[in-house]
Amino acid sequence: MAEEKRPLLRMEQIDKRFPGVHALDHVDFDLYEGEVHILLGENGAGKSTLVKILSGAVPRDGGRIWIGDHEGLVEVADITPERTRALGIGMVYQELSLVPTLSVAENIFLGRLPRTRWGTVDWAQTYHRAWQRLQDLGVSINPRAQVRELSVAEQQLTEIARVLESHPRILVLDEPTSALSDTERTRLFELIRRLRDRGVGIIYISHRLAEVPLIGDRVTVLRDGKRIATLPVTEVDEDRLIQMVVGRKLTEQYPRRSGARGEVILRVENLSLPGALRGVSFELHQGEILGVFGLMGAGQNELARTLCGLEPRYTGRILISGQPLTIRQPWHAIRQGIGLLPRDRRDGLVPLLPIPPNITLGQLCLGNPLRILNLRQEMLIASEYVERLRIQPPILNRPVLYLSGGNQQKVTLARWLCSNVRLLVLDDPTRGIDVGAKAEVFALMEELSQQGVGILFVSSEMEELLAMADRILVLRQGQISAEYQRGEATEEDLLRSAS
Amino acid sequence: MKKKATSLKQQSVASFATARPRLGLETLRQWAVQMGALLALFLLAGYLSLATPHFLTAGNIANVARQTAVTTILAAGQTFVILSAGIDLSVAATAGLSASVAAVLMTSQVQILGVPIGPVPFGVGMVIALMVGLLVGFLNGLIITKGRIPDFIATLGTLTTMRGIALLVTGGLPVPSHLTAIELKGYLPPALIWLGAGDIFGIPVAGLIAVGVIILGWLILRYTAFGRAVYAVGGNREAARVSGINIDRTKIMVYMLSGLLAALAGMVLTGRLNSANALMGDGEELRSIAATVIGGANLFGGEGSLFGTLIGALIMGVLGNGLNLLNVSAFWQRVIQGLVIVGVVLFDQWRRRRFGA
Repeated sequence: MAEEKRPLLRMEQIDKRFPGVHALDHVDFDLYEGEVHILLGENGAGKSTLVKILSGAVPRDGGRIWIGDHEGLVEVADITPERTRALGIGMVYQELSLVPTLSVAENIFLGRLPRTRWGTVDWAQTYHRAWQRLQDLGVSINPRAQVRELSVAEQQLTEIARVLESHPRILVLDEPTSALSDTERTRLFELIRRLRDRGVGIIYISHRLAEVPLIGDRVTVLRDGKRIATLPVTEVDEDRLIQMVVGRKLTEQYPRRSGARGEVILRVENLSLPGALRGVSFELHQGEILGVFGLMGAGQNELARTLCGLEPRYTGRILISGQPLTIRQPWHAIRQGIGLLPRDRRDGLVPLLPIPPNITLGQLCLGNPLRILNLRQEMLIASEYVERLRIQPPILNRPVLYLSGGNQQKVTLARWLCSNVRLLVLDDPTRGIDVGAKAEVFALMEELSQQGVGILFVSSEMEELLAMADRILVLRQGQISAEYQRGEATEEDLLRSAS
Repeated sequence: MKKKATSLKQQSVASFATARPRLGLETLRQWAVQMGALLALFLLAGYLSLATPHFLTAGNIANVARQTAVTTILAAGQTFVILSAGIDLSVAATAGLSASVAAVLMTSQVQILGVPIGPVPFGVGMVIALMVGLLVGFLNGLIITKGRIPDFIATLGTLTTMRGIALLVTGGLPVPSHLTAIELKGYLPPALIWLGAGDIFGIPVAGLIAVGVIILGWLILRYTAFGRAVYAVGGNREAARVSGINIDRTKIMVYMLSGLLAALAGMVLTGRLNSANALMGDGEELRSIAATVIGGANLFGGEGSLFGTLIGALIMGVLGNGLNLLNVSAFWQRVIQGLVIVGVVLFDQWRRRRFGA
């Protein structure tokens, strides 16, 4: 298969050190036209660094790079972000790089808007072509909409549309599905296959092992900056991949659920939120994990936010342990022992503060603002959780900015673990974190539920919900469309109820 | 819960050789950052000691301390505001208004709603000035949080308004003003003059107040829940919100503190000049911002320290004093001070990029 295909890219002995970390240790990587090469690894394994070196965003310490030309591979000594487009490389980063106040179409054609013969912007052409590009992607986003009004998934698709506009021969997708629902992901995969058939070489970075056989031709596993293996996808199974990614055998990704449940801790009656939720009612017991599933925009995220005081315009009744409550502000919720793991990891942490103050951040609102903090106790709590949750690197006075995504998520979780929550709201807690960290998050969920904490578990991953939740509510257009007990439903059932 | 924790811990130690939580070189690095500004200050002072015999004299150093005190006190409040990702353009105007109101009440009898008031003693005047400062700060905070107006615009508005009210209060005249060419209409209390121009064992009172403000502010930032909230709100507003921090209250408190310190600075300045006027301290708002930024604070919030701000204010003060001693014309002084601000911040940016701060 690979014999007849021409190479598009060869990276040899790429080496990169950051202060304190050997981010890439003499890594080799190559890519042929018409293939999807998956780059797999935990957070901090070096995947993003490798593609950032390819795009010139990060300079390399050592190694050589060749990029395919019409005649064959040509060595490129200095790659800069400005040159990558000319070299035929298109990058879709994890962090979106759209201008939020401009329209979708303006973002897609940013810097190269179609012109009329008078030199002014040809708006008709701009919107028409943007619409066509989005149709190609199989999505219906209004090209005139402002980017900041779009959901994260729609923004991501806009970003992909923009990168495709320069017709790259090498397309890099850095965790493109982390914000997408399953339907959107399926569409994205169709698009990737179409591009592959046109001869585009695709580097696909992912955490999701399940995606590997779905979309990949070859897979390269990185761990701690080293290349572990490069293999055709047909030759590996999931167990072997997990082993290579994590470096140890994960016997069970999901812990066994004990399923004991206590009294009703949360009761929601007729909860509505303009434009998002309509008459939602349910109960959540102590020690129960209640899964919530919905397609993008079905209201599941708003449900989580409302319970944590982030959507003050709700109507309906919320009762905690039988006591009716109004939750118009986050501190109302926190004082009642409700903790939230926000959907966007960046919304949970203060990047410039180190680990200890980030862990105790949720306790600031409890009590007099002028009280004296116990910094020594804070340090003790932080060391305990850093050790227990294996937060890496365990440097207590370094800003959390330098932690990888999975470790940042653990810091946010530690915040609620240390403050005796009664109800924990997890809004897509495993989004964009690696297999190892996921298993740890699930173990913690199980541990918390055994302690009697009620957990509302919103997720876009059906597999996780089916494995972890005692019950699953399915939301469709802001209403509960189905409820399944543990073991009752399959992924098909969930999808059918959701769409 | 404890038991669970240990079992999980053991498990993790068994499968992984987990490093123990520890402190890194972060503290050292942060000190190194501040050392840059401190080094600049020493170099500047060293140069001036060599260039002019008048710089390193007790009298001149006391003079620098008095001049820098006002900027330092204002910059301390400004640092809180900038840490919370705001900016307070009204500090100098607030200083002018509070001092004018207090000075008028301390030097003369005024009719307020038909009730004759004053002249009040120093203590009452001081409290009134501080109350005025708190009130202006409260209004700033209220306009910014409840009115959802950007900090820059809101405080620009109060700046102008407060200067106007101060002009109304003083009638546009200095307080106390002259009845005749030699006789003053009322006198400021000696205690106020001591505050601005006096000394204890040769150390200027104003300087002591400024150092006290810095130390107290540092304690608040480091050890209180409010101080922590300031860093959180400025560092990531959304995270602060999700964590239950009352953002509006934190911002209002920050602006009230800034207003309070502005009033204190206004009184110190009045004591030093032996006179208050509506337009006093003009330009000090920008000097306080410059001192804060020279001291390493990030204008986008969440990063900075009062120790740095003190050094920043001293750099500004020593520079102004040195240029005077060297007989540099007032016009050139402005040019040089402006260039120094830009130069220091450029150097800071370069250093951050170079050493990955």
